[in-house]
Amino acid sequence: MKRYIKSILPAGALLLALGMTSCTKDLDVDPISPKISTDYSAEGLFNKCYANFAMAGLGDGGSGDGDCDVAGYSDAGMTNLVRLLWNVNELTTDEAMCTWGDAGIPELNFDTYDAEAAMVKALFARLTLGISCCNQYLTVASDYNATMTAEVRYLRALQYYILMDLFGNVPFATVIEKPTQLSRADLFNWIVNELNEIEPTLTEAKAKKSAEGNYGRVDKAAVWMLLQRMYLNAEVYTGTAQWDKAAEYAQKVISSSYKLNETGAGGWSAYQMLFMADNGETNAALEGIFPIYQDGKVSTSYGNTTFLVGSTFTGDMVVNPQGDPTGTNGTTQNWAGNRARIDLYKKFFPDGKERNVASYDMVKQARDDRALFWGIDRVLNIETYSTFKEGYSVAKFTGYKTDGSANADATFSDGDWFFFRVAEAYLTYAEALTRKAGSNQLPGDALSAVNKIRARANASQKESMTLDELCDEWSREFYFEGRRRIDLVRFGKFGGNNNYNWQWKGGVKDGRNFDAYKNIFAIPAAELNSNTSLKQNEGYAY
Amino acid sequence: MKIPFRMLALILGLFLSVGAFAQQIAVKGHVKDASGEDVIGATVRVAGTQTATVTDFNGVFTLNANRGATITVSYVGYQTATATAAPTLEITLEDDATVLNDVVVIGYGVAKKSDLTGAVSALKPDTKNKGVIVSAQDMLQGKVAGVNITNYGGKPGGDARIRIRGGASLNASNDPLIVIDGVPMDNSKVGDGSNPLATINPQDIETFNVLKDASATAIYGSRGSNGVIIITTKKGRVGQKLNVSYAGSATVSMKAKSLDLMDANQYRQLVGNIYGTESDAYAMLGTANTDWQDEIYRTAVSHDHNLTFTGVAGPVPFRVSLGYTGQEGILKTSKYERFTGALNLNPSLLQDHLTLNLNAKGMYSTADLADEGAIGAAAYFDPTQDPYSFTSTYHKNMLGDKAAQTLKNFGGYFEWPAGGAALNDASWPFMKFKDATKNPLALLEYGLSDETVRTFIGSIDGDYRVHGFEDLRLHATAGIELAEGSKNNVLSGAYPSENGYYQGITDNDNLKRNLLFNAYAQYYKDINADNHFDIMAGYEWQHFYFQWHNLWQSFYQPTHNESPNGLYKNSPDADEYESYLVSFFGRMNYILKNRYMLTATVRRDGSSRFAEHWATFPSVALAWKVKEESFLKNVNAISDLKLRLGWGMTGQQELASGDPAANNYIWIDKYKRGYGGNGRYPMVGDGTLYRPASVNKDLKWETTTTYNAGLDLGFMDQRLTASIDYYYRETKDLLNWAHLPALYGFMDEGYLNIGKMKNYGVEASISWKAIQTKNLFWTLDYNVTWNRNKITDLSGVSEGGMPVPTGDKIDISNRVLAHQVGYAANSFWVFQQAYDQNGKPLENVVVDRNGDGQITTADKYLYKHIMAPVTMGLASRLEYKNWDFGFSLRASLGNYVYNSTQQGMRLTAPNALMYQDAFLQNRLANTLGWLSDSDASKLTDYFVQNASFLKCDNITLGYSFDKLFSSNEWEGLAGRVYATCSNVFTITDYEGIDPEVSSGVDGGIYPRPISFIVGLNLNF
Repeated sequence: MKRYIKSILPAGALLLALGMTSCTKDLDVDPISPKISTDYSAEGLFNKCYANFAMAGLGDGGSGDGDCDVAGYSDAGMTNLVRLLWNVNELTTDEAMCTWGDAGIPELNFDTYDAEAAMVKALFARLTLGISCCNQYLTVASDYNATMTAEVRYLRALQYYILMDLFGNVPFATVIEKPTQLSRADLFNWIVNELNEIEPTLTEAKAKKSAEGNYGRVDKAAVWMLLQRMYLNAEVYTGTAQWDKAAEYAQKVISSSYKLNETGAGGWSAYQMLFMADNGETNAALEGIFPIYQDGKVSTSYGNTTFLVGSTFTGDMVVNPQGDPTGTNGTTQNWAGNRARIDLYKKFFPDGKERNVASYDMVKQARDDRALFWGIDRVLNIETYSTFKEGYSVAKFTGYKTDGSANADATFSDGDWFFFRVAEAYLTYAEALTRKAGSNQLPGDALSAVNKIRARANASQKESMTLDELCDEWSREFYFEGRRRIDLVRFGKFGGNNNYNWQWKGGVKDGRNFDAYKNIFAIPAAELNSNTSLKQNEGYAY
Repeated sequence: MKIPFRMLALILGLFLSVGAFAQQIAVKGHVKDASGEDVIGATVRVAGTQTATVTDFNGVFTLNANRGATITVSYVGYQTATATAAPTLEITLEDDATVLNDVVVIGYGVAKKSDLTGAVSALKPDTKNKGVIVSAQDMLQGKVAGVNITNYGGKPGGDARIRIRGGASLNASNDPLIVIDGVPMDNSKVGDGSNPLATINPQDIETFNVLKDASATAIYGSRGSNGVIIITTKKGRVGQKLNVSYAGSATVSMKAKSLDLMDANQYRQLVGNIYGTESDAYAMLGTANTDWQDEIYRTAVSHDHNLTFTGVAGPVPFRVSLGYTGQEGILKTSKYERFTGALNLNPSLLQDHLTLNLNAKGMYSTADLADEGAIGAAAYFDPTQDPYSFTSTYHKNMLGDKAAQTLKNFGGYFEWPAGGAALNDASWPFMKFKDATKNPLALLEYGLSDETVRTFIGSIDGDYRVHGFEDLRLHATAGIELAEGSKNNVLSGAYPSENGYYQGITDNDNLKRNLLFNAYAQYYKDINADNHFDIMAGYEWQHFYFQWHNLWQSFYQPTHNESPNGLYKNSPDADEYESYLVSFFGRMNYILKNRYMLTATVRRDGSSRFAEHWATFPSVALAWKVKEESFLKNVNAISDLKLRLGWGMTGQQELASGDPAANNYIWIDKYKRGYGGNGRYPMVGDGTLYRPASVNKDLKWETTTTYNAGLDLGFMDQRLTASIDYYYRETKDLLNWAHLPALYGFMDEGYLNIGKMKNYGVEASISWKAIQTKNLFWTLDYNVTWNRNKITDLSGVSEGGMPVPTGDKIDISNRVLAHQVGYAANSFWVFQQAYDQNGKPLENVVVDRNGDGQITTADKYLYKHIMAPVTMGLASRLEYKNWDFGFSLRASLGNYVYNSTQQGMRLTAPNALMYQDAFLQNRLANTLGWLSDSDASKLTDYFVQNASFLKCDNITLGYSFDKLFSSNEWEGLAGRVYATCSNVFTITDYEGIDPEVSSGVDGGIYPRPISFIVGLNLNF
């Protein structure tokens, strides 16, 4: 008996003591997850800084939106940067209206957004997360490669620019820390400085197609594009106009190797080639500056061109007259969402009369390659925002390649989204010259820049043009490309008592003014709650 | 039974005739139970000898024994009785239920119920009126004050939500800790219905002990905040003869209620009115009259069988049980089958100094998981369509001579078609329209997944009373929980998936492996008659490991033009993660004069989930047995009166939201690597993505402080007992899944310690043995819980600002539930509906509560909440001779539900009926007929509806028999037959199918069926 106690007790005690010391060390775990790395990869981080524009997550679950970066939305693809940017800059204007009742969409359609508007919140999150990725890269990997570092700084500046444009006074930090709020004007200056600093380090401005190296990455031309856009809107952002600078940077782009695509192919117009599945492979690519790269197999998202192609179509539209009569847009995606307001149609057809023809016939009637409307089985006026066939459909974005074949994938688009197009520099140049001259009529140089754009679209050459007409020209050239709101604000035609009305503006059919404070969006309420140093933009409750 | 031992001695004493001489005598005895019934087959033995016998059909035994020797009588289900040998003995066996009252399993040890200082509810499952029991949680439902159980629906083998005292957490896990035979379970799941309670056969459960207040749960430290359910399974007994018993039942279940939808004619009329009879929409209408809700449900047949062997093999008492449950779901094609096996060995060695307890429980289940999308699809599907053909003129024109081919492609089912040119497959001229409602019957036939779950829970438990120092016990437990789940499906092109064309396979495997080791020493000391104390100290180590693999592949159809049967998408995915919990704990009990009791516990927990691993959780409790005071001792009307007071702190570390792998490493700087072929962005290299992951180095346990005051009462010799507890709990540093400030991290939401919440309430239970006579018994058990919950601080997420939305989304991003300071958690945050003079809700008109002339988010208000302030349970049993009759009722008062189904069907706008100009959707017969799809027409309090209910869970009629088929050679069969109706009725004003919606947002659940059961129990 005693032997028992003698042997069991000490043995037990020893075992226990051993167990305890070794086991408390167990608490200092190292992740065993194959998806988690405690070391960074400069290239992996670099790719992610770019991918924030293109995909909503890290991938899988069927698309690059899987493992979404932005929480709180059951449809990950909806949080794609381009898709959100498109929504807030198009649905709020005279160009587009969406049939869907998805949270946040009706508020944009009717300009009734507030601090809880779902799409606006998601965009705020998307942009700030993108900036955080860049901040992290610049903190840990800035020594890796000087050009890459400059590019990441560019991506950060661009996302700050979008934030500044949309929200005015936004939280700001260049490392991961609790941010402070910067005024719109201060942020404007910071972005300009940043762009000036990195310009020399970026690669030379050189137009390229996807087969060449560095396609999808930014170069000096991207800096010039962003600067010409900022200077064009400088009066809105800072109160001080900078027309000279706008013209100067626009001119830099125009004289760079990036070129307007002026020759059509395979029966498609030069203009339409810009929005097709192979726009990264054809000469259209030479017009795109900072293309958001899409590949239906490798880099996929329910945002970007997949969204533009899918959301603007129904099964009854056939845009390839040579193709299968059930071929629609070359994909299986026909979501019946976004279509034109009559006000956009009137930019091409001031008579506002119905033309119930296919898009390839519509451009002929408009004598303008850009009038890519589908009128068959459609009515122009929107009585119920939720009826897709009220309002003409827009057949601008398709899943076809110039040889008539379709995307490699039946769902996901291969077409790239050009964040900037050279055409913008022409119109900026024209507008800046006109504004600088203080004239309502475009001076000669300005007019010829506009006519260059029109010539590419096989539209008639203008002998004269007013500023108001130039505002329409912006729409004709860039409708459904995610920038209309910016132009309307600059022309004083968005919020405020301007009586520039469009159908359903402000939520009534004939349109009505809404308050000028809505020229910028509300900082999301959750952001104010969690960071009490932030102040809400004037005019918004919460 | 306040002091059962004494009571027992008393009873035995009454029946003992006392002999005094040490010589062999013939002892003849009669054994009966408390109700006077003979006990047949009881084992009678002379202690310390090999002499033993069993009682005959009349409960009579004879054997020889030394005068004065001790005779023991044992029988399963009763306490073992002892008597001193005498020529004639009359022995009454006490019901085992009193054993339950006697000893209660608490954390790391047992305690006499009468000595408890904390709020602990013990429940022995009702073996007679039990209803459809598939999982152990079904036996607890409505039975214990403060415990609220809601199953997620009527799915076979389905899971349930368990809340003890409302839960202590805002949005970390609120699931209680479940301890099975000393092994704390991990709540992570490997399959659909595989919560830890589903892994054991309910028939094997001896008792549930529910620890509710902190003085009871603090010994479980960081996992004790949400209460603890301790399950003890049945064991073999020393001295028991071999006993074989069988229990089985057969169940027929059917749909209890349907949504009141438009029938085909009503729907035709609606479409005609809205679009006109010349429209595309009208042309799309079919010629059939299909009730889709009838089509998808069936009358389901289930049965279960359990076989139990108990006995002694050599020195080792054993219990072996085998169980089978086969359950058909009322949703066609859904099915669940489970096999369980349990082995328990509990030998005592070294003159009873060393008790070993070995438990092994295995479970194997297979389920046919139906695609539950069929439930919603049946509600929305156009009732004019024939399930198996294209009958509309629109579709006939559209499909032309391709109709037969298309129907074949769709597996013989009608689906809403769309042009298929982009598919590049000549055999598929048409595909299923991507966003259209899927044919529910096709979902059921082609969307079936097979799930297999295997679990094993094993433990070895040793309890050693040190030789020569018997006041000291050493105890050690080693345990393992293994679970493996695998879900597969093979989807043909006929399965109406999102892409509507490709064939696919999925293969999802999960593995959980948790290890446990603990050891503690316990020392008992009676210093003198008035001073008793015991002290326990121990150590525990746990390792939690989880891994999963997921494969999803899809292929082109064999007829595809370019790559027949080729791989279309391939998404392999896998992850694994682990965590550790290391703990030191101790408990001290001190009892003074058997009247005043003090319990103090402390646990120090180390978790690998937080940067600062360690935290301490103490508790103190006092009890006063007032009955033992001289002024009450002789008051016979009062048989028990005890006052309990407790205070304690517990923690919580289960993170329920977000990425489980990252949650285990939340404090470590890390990156998440991209994976899969479709999420690369090749700017440099192959395009692999590295995303900085959320880090929170400050994250720590949320801590709940609980105060509890309780009173235990007994009257009329314990025939009426009652227990009432008041509790107040405050949780601080809530583990909140909250918005993260922009630029401060790498996700917009994540875990933060934010805010405080309090819960307070009263819970009471009354048990009344109303009638106790030889032939007639009537018992009533009633419990009621009143709970209030209030958020008291949310600094950081809502500082005087906007409520924080939470809960299920009702569309892509809107949530109707929110948390806000000053309100109950999960309150509804909605607009206030405006009504016309007739009380009809006005479409898109809500109250401008802040009076600023416009309707914005600022006009929303907090209105009601999902948790019922009052819940009640009532169970009663009446027994007359061989007959028994029982019922159980359950009520929930003041709980509200957002009727998402009604909201989803409120619109009859042209695009809402004919969606995307491509397919039609049905509506409720009394549709609101609204047109505007704005927030103001959907996020209103009109859809927040009172879902108070009274449910009758079960009614049972049973008949017990013995000596069936008995003969001179054989004692015959004993047993019971019974018939039960389950989910009998629901009384409620709620307009949806079922008011019992755990999430508070009713978007259509797998309906709970009404069931009819017949069952048979046999003892061989």
